[in-house]
Amino acid sequence: MSYPILSTVIFLPLAGALVIFLIKRSNESLIKWTALVLSLLTFAVSLPLFTGFDKTTADMQFRETYQWVPSWGINYALGVDGISVLFVLLSTLLTVLCVTVSWNSIKDRTKEFFAALLLIEGSMVGVFCSLDLFLFYIFWEAMLIPMYLLIGVWGGPNRVYAAIKFFLYTLVGSLLMLIGIIVLYFNTGRSFDVLQMMTTNYPYHLQLLLFWAFFAAFAVKVPMFPVHTWLPDAHTEAPTAGSVILAGILIKMGAYGFLRFSMPILPEASREMAPLMMVLSVIGIIYGGLICLGQTDIKRLIAYSSVSHMGFVTLGIFALNIQGVQGGILQMINHGIVTGALFLSIGIIYDRTHTRQIADYGGVATVLPVYAAFFMVFTLSSIGLPGTNGFVGEFLILLGGFTASNVLGVFAATGIIIGAAYMLWLYQRVFFLDVNPKVRSYKDMNLREVLTLLPLLLLVLWIGIYPNTFLSFMDASVQHLVQRVNTAGQPQMAQQIIEVIR
Amino acid sequence: MNSADFIALLPLIVPALASVVLLLLITFSRSHAVSVLFTLGSLLLSFLLLFVAGGGTPRRVTPLFIMDAYSLFFIGLLFIAGIVVAVMSSRYLGERSMERGEYYVLLLLATLGASVLAAGSHFASFFAGLEILSVSLYTLIAYRRNDDRGNEAGLKYLILAAASSSFLLFGMALVYAQTGSMDFFQLAEGGRVPDLTVVLSAGLLLITVGVGFKLAVVPFHLWTPDVYEGAPAPVAAFIATSSKGAIFALLMRYFSLMDLQRFPAVWYGIAGIAVASMLIGNLLALRQNNLKRILAYSSIAHMGYLLVAVLAGGTVAKTAVGYYLAAYFATMLGAFGVIAFLSGEEGDAENLEAYRGMAWSRPWTAGVFVAMLLSLAGIPLTAGFIGKFYVVAAGAGAALWIPLIVLVAGSTIGLYYYLRIVAVLYGRVPEGEGGAVTGFPGRVLGMTGGILLTVLTFALLWLGVYPAPLIRILQATVARLVP
Amino acid sequence: MLPKIFFGYFAVVMVVLSLLIVTRKNPVHSVLWMLALFFHIAGLYLFLNAEFLAAVQVILYAGAILVLFLFVVMMLNLKEEVMGERFGKEWPVGISIGAFILVLFFFTINKFSQGPTGQYTIERIKAETHTKAIGSVLYTEFLLPFEIASLILLIAIVGAIVLAKKTK
Repeated sequence: MSYPILSTVIFLPLAGALVIFLIKRSNESLIKWTALVLSLLTFAVSLPLFTGFDKTTADMQFRETYQWVPSWGINYALGVDGISVLFVLLSTLLTVLCVTVSWNSIKDRTKEFFAALLLIEGSMVGVFCSLDLFLFYIFWEAMLIPMYLLIGVWGGPNRVYAAIKFFLYTLVGSLLMLIGIIVLYFNTGRSFDVLQMMTTNYPYHLQLLLFWAFFAAFAVKVPMFPVHTWLPDAHTEAPTAGSVILAGILIKMGAYGFLRFSMPILPEASREMAPLMMVLSVIGIIYGGLICLGQTDIKRLIAYSSVSHMGFVTLGIFALNIQGVQGGILQMINHGIVTGALFLSIGIIYDRTHTRQIADYGGVATVLPVYAAFFMVFTLSSIGLPGTNGFVGEFLILLGGFTASNVLGVFAATGIIIGAAYMLWLYQRVFFLDVNPKVRSYKDMNLREVLTLLPLLLLVLWIGIYPNTFLSFMDASVQHLVQRVNTAGQPQMAQQIIEVIR
Repeated sequence: MNSADFIALLPLIVPALASVVLLLLITFSRSHAVSVLFTLGSLLLSFLLLFVAGGGTPRRVTPLFIMDAYSLFFIGLLFIAGIVVAVMSSRYLGERSMERGEYYVLLLLATLGASVLAAGSHFASFFAGLEILSVSLYTLIAYRRNDDRGNEAGLKYLILAAASSSFLLFGMALVYAQTGSMDFFQLAEGGRVPDLTVVLSAGLLLITVGVGFKLAVVPFHLWTPDVYEGAPAPVAAFIATSSKGAIFALLMRYFSLMDLQRFPAVWYGIAGIAVASMLIGNLLALRQNNLKRILAYSSIAHMGYLLVAVLAGGTVAKTAVGYYLAAYFATMLGAFGVIAFLSGEEGDAENLEAYRGMAWSRPWTAGVFVAMLLSLAGIPLTAGFIGKFYVVAAGAGAALWIPLIVLVAGSTIGLYYYLRIVAVLYGRVPEGEGGAVTGFPGRVLGMTGGILLTVLTFALLWLGVYPAPLIRILQATVARLVP
Repeated sequence: MLPKIFFGYFAVVMVVLSLLIVTRKNPVHSVLWMLALFFHIAGLYLFLNAEFLAAVQVILYAGAILVLFLFVVMMLNLKEEVMGERFGKEWPVGISIGAFILVLFFFTINKFSQGPTGQYTIERIKAETHTKAIGSVLYTEFLLPFEIASLILLIAIVGAIVLAKKTK
């Protein structure tokens, strides 16, 4: 590699945001085109991660390390492994789609909107690539501000409340994590190096405390069951692009945090807490699903479905076996694609009707047939129909979940049924039944909108039919991770036995 | 005193002389520009002289002053703050029909008083510095004479500062009665303070009350919002930064020389004040709609955060305090700077609602303000974050879990009201006048304001992104407080 | 025994005088009681072998400053002042702070134990005379605060002029 790919992927959008800031406000089309070109360019730059990734190793790749604050041992350290590489790609892809879907729907303050979008992209990628906890924390927090503005300025009627709620929830968690990070720093011989932490063994009671400190930050982001209440508000009030980024990537950062930090750094505590985490996940699955059945607002419904789906993800992750973790990661990607696509679709119809109430729709399939077809595929994928990506992910998770606990596996499986119920019922109410006079006069999707949804449609089918392309990325890394979680802290003997068995 | 003493003291002598010369100068020419330039020049000269004075090893000039790296760092910080406040005032006063020359005399003397505190190593210099600072502030606070709130604020500060000074004096007397010395370094020598007798603790308690008033920590904070509101914005900036920073510098020297943290009673006392300040300062700010009052409460909370580092003790904590104060100075000066430069003759731009939609009509000004607010909130990439990070690191290193949890809670509450301001800045102006962006009706920053705030913002981001140079400086200065 | 009686007299009278100063309705009366107070303070200084301070107390405070006070008080509109309430609403706060300090005193005085003494012991002062001792200390060791104190006065003058000057 001749150029630092990861740094480029992080800083290109940031530079783009600056460029957009310097363009005159009145020149809207230049602003939009700059944003589009830059996000496309970023996506293109990130593609070598896909092609040049060495799938045989669990080591970090594309590494960059520079000293940053030597007196604290802080480095600017980047790198990706099989767990994070796909999220980087997902981030760059979804940003492009966010730009195109917002093309006409953002009417005022376009300049700030696209600048904020690119700022978010840069910091999201930064979160997934950081190999230094301090750097990670900076990116983790830096993303909040543009996100706050995205919701608070371009959102729905209740936007300020939703934005502040989102920020406060996240910040409490983050600050507790910050204390955890600092404690970790002192116990790692004054280093923020994640890789070094992954090989250090910390005392058990310390691990337990740190686990909860990190849990505070990650669980809020995921969001796991008791701390999920910010999500429906934020998703519902956010503009389409904001919802897509929230659902597609932002909430994945929580689960990613568990995978990257909690589990390998604090393996014993993770093992000990796994049953509790799984129970919380299953509660989230069922609770989120049941709430969905009662929603009258499309966006809110999809938002609650995220609670349910992310429950599957954390269930898989904390099953602590290879199938579960792989399924969890794949399901995160899937959820990013599908929920992103669903929010994009809702955005497309909302641009026409300016209503999100299910009661205002009906018979959309006869008026906008192409749109209905797209929505159908995403709905089926969300349910987990075989042949779509949702099936592969949920299947792996359930496999892992059953291996870990039969009872929880059964409960989680009922979640799928509830999921099918609310998604199909939604589809019926919106697309079939009598044509609602309010939607009669609308045109079907234009080329820009089709092009926005098409890549996601292709991905849904690709992962659904041939998931191996993506699973093969994470094989080595997941194996390494699961081994670390399950063997760390055990007597040497047990490790040797496991070696022999393998 | 020999010539070496004299050279070491030059940074303090120059502002003192300059104030007298300026007083003579304004009898000849009442030109505002001359006063401003003279003030800036003398402060700059004093700042440069710090490097001359810093040439030698730590030097005690009479028992009263110690010119070591620690005091030089803080004096430098105070001079920079003085320069910034002077620049802010130049426009603020330039547009109002007030006495102008005398303002700068008082500003110079107030800065001198603060520097005396930072270099003080004796109760006498402590008290003298504090009095110069306070007496100058009485007038500066009430400088808007035709404003009732200004007069009220001045009077309030006068009475409370006088009362707190008497507490302080009596406390010093008790400590002296017990230890037989007013010299910090003599007190530090072994055997003087073997244990916490009743007299000594009563003395320390009274000193705490006196200092607490000046630092505006809970429960001695009641004057703060009124005084900030009544004082002209640049003076409020001065109270929030220089006045507090100087006392903090002296306090830390006193505490670490006497090693007072070893007494549980003192430790818990400070912990209580810190916790109360973090919580109450932030909670009281929630319901305010006046920016100056919000910043006043926010400064109370920030003193609480700083005290957490003092509790931690040790080298890391000292560096943390130094960094936090530097970041806090840049941020508070910037925030008050925005208010000062946007203020017109009809009154200070302190009403939150007046800022609605400012981000759309004045994106850069609003951007600067948002940067300052985020730094106060401690969001990454700003100086405030590194400061807070340092404090948390110091606290975690000393296992101060309860203060740290309170710090987290306080920061979260704090974030709420900072975000409220941001929400207003990015808010929509009620539709009606043309529908689209109507925006902020206030004034423009002007060139001085633009340059000053740009510099402060860059300082803020620089400290937030690349803290290594300042940390190195701090490790060479502040961290060496007790050899 | 005799010193104790004298001290007791001065202490009690000073407290009573202070109370009189703050409670009188007529400011002129307050100032005059203050005059008496200053003389008693001077008496206490004499007890401490501080004859120089006692003299300064009488000459400066009782002589110069109180006269200034009287001038200022007489320039006020006395009738209005006398009619008005003597105390603001906050007096309970003041009383409670005063009570707190009083309690603090009692505890402190009971527990007082002599710590290490300072440089200037009674014997040394007696040998050197107070005036000489204070003079040499003031112009050598404490020269700088002496200069600084002069600055405080300067600030007060400038401040008073700025605040009192009539606006054009």
